Amino acid sequence: MKKSSVISAVAVLSSSAMVLSGLTVQSAAAASKHSSAPVTIVWAAGTISGNGLKADLIKHFEKLYPNIKVKIVAEPTNTDTTRAQLISEITGGATTPDVYLGDVIWPGQFGSQHLALPLNKYLPKSFFNQFAPGLVAGASYKGNVYGSPWFQDSGFLYYRKDLLAKYHLAVPKTWQQLQKEAKLLVQKKATKYGFVWEGSSYEGLTCDWMEYLTDAGGQVFNAQGQPVMNSPAALKALTFMRGLITSGVTPKAVTTFTEPQAMNVFNDGQSAFLRNWDYAYTNSQTPGQSKVIGKVGVAPLPTFAGQGSAGYACIGGWDNYINPHSKHIQADLTFIKYMASVPAETILATKASEIPTNYAVQKNPKVRALNPVLSVVSKQHLIARPSQSPNYAKVSTAIYTNINAALAGQISPKTALSQANSQLASAQSSSSL
Amino acid sequence: MRRTHLERKYATAGYLMVSPALLVIALVTLFPIGYSIWMSLNSISSTYNGFQFSFNGLTNYSIVFSNAIFWQALLFTVIYAIVTVAVELVLGLLVALALNQPIKGRGLAIAVMLIPWTLITVISAQMWGYIYNGIYGVLNAILMSLHIIQSPVLWLGDPTLATIAMMIADIWKTTPFVTMILLAGLQLIPSDLYEAARIDGATGWRSFWSVTLPLLRPSIGLAALFRILQAFGLFDLPFVLTNGGPGTSTEPIAMLAYKAIFSDGNYGPGTAVAVATVGIVIILALVSLKALRTQVGEIE
Amino acid sequence: MRKTNQVFRKSIGYIVLVLMLLIIIAPFFWMVDTSFKSNLDIGNFPPSFIPHPFTFYHYIRAFSFYNFGIYFRNSVVISIVATIVVLILASLASYAIARLPIRGKAPLMVMLLAISTFPEVAVISPLFLIMKNLNWLNSYQSLIIPYVAFNLPFAIWVMRTYFAGIPKELDEAARVDGAGIMTTLFRVIMPLATPGLFTGGVFTFVACWTEFLFALVFNSSTNYRTISVGIALFSGQFTIPYGTIFAGSTVAVLPIVILVLIFQKWVVAGLTAGAVKG
Repeated sequence: MKKSSVISAVAVLSSSAMVLSGLTVQSAAAASKHSSAPVTIVWAAGTISGNGLKADLIKHFEKLYPNIKVKIVAEPTNTDTTRAQLISEITGGATTPDVYLGDVIWPGQFGSQHLALPLNKYLPKSFFNQFAPGLVAGASYKGNVYGSPWFQDSGFLYYRKDLLAKYHLAVPKTWQQLQKEAKLLVQKKATKYGFVWEGSSYEGLTCDWMEYLTDAGGQVFNAQGQPVMNSPAALKALTFMRGLITSGVTPKAVTTFTEPQAMNVFNDGQSAFLRNWDYAYTNSQTPGQSKVIGKVGVAPLPTFAGQGSAGYACIGGWDNYINPHSKHIQADLTFIKYMASVPAETILATKASEIPTNYAVQKNPKVRALNPVLSVVSKQHLIARPSQSPNYAKVSTAIYTNINAALAGQISPKTALSQANSQLASAQSSSSL
Repeated sequence: MRRTHLERKYATAGYLMVSPALLVIALVTLFPIGYSIWMSLNSISSTYNGFQFSFNGLTNYSIVFSNAIFWQALLFTVIYAIVTVAVELVLGLLVALALNQPIKGRGLAIAVMLIPWTLITVISAQMWGYIYNGIYGVLNAILMSLHIIQSPVLWLGDPTLATIAMMIADIWKTTPFVTMILLAGLQLIPSDLYEAARIDGATGWRSFWSVTLPLLRPSIGLAALFRILQAFGLFDLPFVLTNGGPGTSTEPIAMLAYKAIFSDGNYGPGTAVAVATVGIVIILALVSLKALRTQVGEIE
Repeated sequence: MRKTNQVFRKSIGYIVLVLMLLIIIAPFFWMVDTSFKSNLDIGNFPPSFIPHPFTFYHYIRAFSFYNFGIYFRNSVVISIVATIVVLILASLASYAIARLPIRGKAPLMVMLLAISTFPEVAVISPLFLIMKNLNWLNSYQSLIIPYVAFNLPFAIWVMRTYFAGIPKELDEAARVDGAGIMTTLFRVIMPLATPGLFTGGVFTFVACWTEFLFALVFNSSTNYRTISVGIALFSGQFTIPYGTIFAGSTVAVLPIVILVLIFQKWVVAGLTAGAVKG
């Protein structure tokens, strides 16, 4: 029953979308019909949203553009290794992959090292206007747009509906409230842990940190680009995070948690709350890997008391980039345009329950009805990581290593922040190691 | 003495036979090392048309040597090498001595010992990563059921523990190899030497100190040299087990170079790290070779 | 008195031996055990020792979803070709060094030993650029050639030892019969030096099979990826599929363990040769 409604939703939306998406798609189709030999482009895409989805999209695309064949290379790797591999391949002058899926934080490095095509030089303004607010800015570096946003991601609060109901607790709106409720649930032995999140020394911790930091009113860099993380607001945020661990709400092991570990604990029914990305909802409802099916609710992340209605959620997600050495730039552009179009984004949202970047699809109530996570998106405040720098990898390292050390209790929050701040300053210089 | 026609003919053939091997070795090792040195003296940037080199002298080295991360990685590598090699030698010697007796099951033991050596390091890293896991790792389960620890320990969450955990994984994999080298060395010691020592009144410990250990020195030296040099190339294990973390506390020097070059595209400084590593390795090798040669001389 | 001492030493020997075998085997047992567990079972704490339910799911998934078959094929092709090339080049070179009147043998051997200890990272960025310029990234030769170069020194070292142990009179006799150098080497000497071939071959094969850094950097595409890189990269951003990792690992461990057990004698011989000549 649910499945058929999904299919009909797709059908309705795609037919209307074909009209909506209008001239660009149509004319490109016409153009490609004139070209003689069919070309094959290679699309490198992680397994982030399941293989069936990508096969469906390609099938649909190849039907619309019979002269372009898409070969998919699935790279089941972690983000850092994918990045190193793409850098190796593209600086190596490889002509494939023609199009690749890359993290939203890559434009700084990939733009400055010429690893991605500046899309704004090839595509009209109207193309970029179809995305949800803020996404194109995030895909840009020094005035050029390098990525075509494909799906958006952000931090969410997942909670155990059943437990909150049983103990008559409200979905927490503030961090303090979350800590109190989680503590209560642990004391009542309702769950083993109260709240799990990503605290390992890696990129994911930078994301979590951005959320607490922004909620507390702090920043990493000020408007002039100087590091300002050694602030009272930052100290408040970090002290609170450390307090989650010392108060027994969060297990000490959180300092080694990446997404899979946090997810695993939550799926195992061992935690009342979870901070994770969009995929976590579907993941927690998958038979064979979860014990909490039907018991999970999702909400915007909380904020600190007195800081407004909802907390900040770190922006993640993936963009499509074009390899500048590709031999089929026109076909690549056609493919990228299709992937950002209403029909493709609708398939993405309905089939893989990813958050679409196409604003029309994101706002569509029919799409929203399909996934509880999507209805939370509009209530969120988003915060981007300070990734507009070719040295973002070092910026992030300076953040997560010191925050992690403070969480683990190896150094005090104060020391961690002052260390981080001085490392941020040296990370910005391009001559660092 | 003049060489005969035949001798010269054989010499020519000899050079011809050696040259393919030497050519491949030179092309893949010597030439790239020279090129590495050149790269490390340049500022290298990636453009749409490939790489652009511009000579900048020792700038990359001053970047590297003034960076605390480099010294941290070097210190980690040195400590890691010393501790693992020392433990492996002691354990290896113990097992080799046990096996150097006419006991049953010796053949089986030797066969089993070869297995960790053939194991892909990445596999052993994944295996140990799962064993050490802070939430569902079997190590915590065993230690908790023995009441050695009360609550799960985060083996990979603390710099010191993670370093020790990584050392244990390494020692597990490599001690058998060290044992085999030492066992081979033990078997070369003529038994009449022990007999002579016994007649002189030396038994047990004393014959170990006066006969076994001195005669085993070349094997020990060889195993130590190989392992220390290997430790300077340490990469696979941390890549999978800790990814250099927490922070950069388990990041060895080879990983630092890899990340700088391939993740950050920092070819100049990254290559400078690699070249500095080679420098250290060559010095170590020369010193050890010299020490080894005198030891070999002692036997003969 | 001496007898009790010996019994004492022997029993200590047995204790050490049993302990060692246990320590070596336990992690392997755990790996194979986990490869048959379901995903829910794998995340349990305390973990169960018997898989329940017992499943081949991960084995199927490793090959169907994660391309493990391709990685396996690549590792086999690259390791075998590299081993054969190493053995041919090493036979020629080591025979010349052992028997023919060429100059500079001693410095040559020292140089070989020194080269065999170079860390790979020292040459990786230039090799990467060279491979890129030759368009060799993602190919078999991009790994075969470096593997040959890095394994030749040890193979030459070992085989020279074997050649040196064969009586020179055999060469002389062949020569009197009018045989050339190649005939002498391949018809007369090589058959006697097969143990040396086995030793050099097994060491080279194991080194190629387990190599990681070159394979990671030079062959990043799925079609040319080797087992070691494949297993390292099984983990995704949001998942660590331990079951599948260990299923693939079990498959990767089996052939080489069998190979090494067959050639066990020559592996030990190789280590002895190293010890003697070190």
